[in-house]
Amino acid sequence: MKKILLTIALIGILVAGVVGYLLYNKPHRDIGKASSDFVVDASTLFREFEEDEAAANTKYLDKVIKVRGNVKSAHTDAEGNMMLTLEAGDEMFGVTCTIPEKNLANAATIREGQHLTVKGVCTGKLMDVVLIRCVPED
Amino acid sequence: MKKIIISVLLLLVVVVAHGQGKFYTKSGKISFYSSAPLEDIEAHNKTATSVIDTETGRMEFAVLMKAFQFRKALMEQHFNERFVESHKYPKATFTGNITNTSDVDFTKDGTYQVNVKGNLTIHGVTKAIEAPGTITVKNGVISGTSSFMVAPEDYDIVIPAVVRNNIAKQVKVTIDMVYEPLRS
Repeated sequence: MKKILLTIALIGILVAGVVGYLLYNKPHRDIGKASSDFVVDASTLFREFEEDEAAANTKYLDKVIKVRGNVKSAHTDAEGNMMLTLEAGDEMFGVTCTIPEKNLANAATIREGQHLTVKGVCTGKLMDVVLIRCVPED
Repeated sequence: MKKIIISVLLLLVVVVAHGQGKFYTKSGKISFYSSAPLEDIEAHNKTATSVIDTETGRMEFAVLMKAFQFRKALMEQHFNERFVESHKYPKATFTGNITNTSDVDFTKDGTYQVNVKGNLTIHGVTKAIEAPGTITVKNGVISGTSSFMVAPEDYDIVIPAVVRNNIAKQVKVTIDMVYEPLRS
């Protein structure tokens, strides 16, 4: 009887350990495979944040969204990550999408003025509306 | 007479060139680093905004908490949900002034040590802080760097006892900005 209890306890500890380890190392969301909560034009998204930031935060923060717009600017940093800004009907500001280097495999063609859809996680608005972990779509 | 006019014009040109006004960035880098007995944690944000007024020495920074990226997804989740509550407080901001603006010639290439004093708001709590920084002017491009310590406790960020040994009492914040002229 004692042996059985001991075995069960050991298995319990082992399972807890494995679960804990897996949880600790759980991967980031795969945005490429994630379904998008919203599909929206860059200008609409920007305007929603301009008009009522609190409401837009409630609606979009942490959500995976697909944003469509024309590429205003695109820069690649030293690590190969891209910082892309979509036009949003404002002279100075737009929707900024940071695209990690690993998501840029098929993005060699991105150029200014091009119409593009980008999927990413919305983090809010400072000057631009900011999306991170983005994946460019065809 | 002609000489005087030329002198006045020259003076005007100098004044205009010097009074360059405002510079900004929307791709500023802000990172933080916590070193604790059980683990080291770092997070990076590349979409911080900042405006600097070279005439008055006024500086403003803002950063979206949710745009800090961690190596481990769980750390990022805990940071957002439990510690900084980024759904309630999506931004951290700083507004302040360079206390020794006169030591910096923004029109001349060089490296200038500055001291910045102002108010830092994180997690809805505002505290006065002061930090040293470096302003570099190279080929007319202004950049700024700084690093200073922030205690989560000061901003009412409660670290539960169970992870006390995973998170440092003092977190090192590093700032790296490259500015461009604000055309308005």
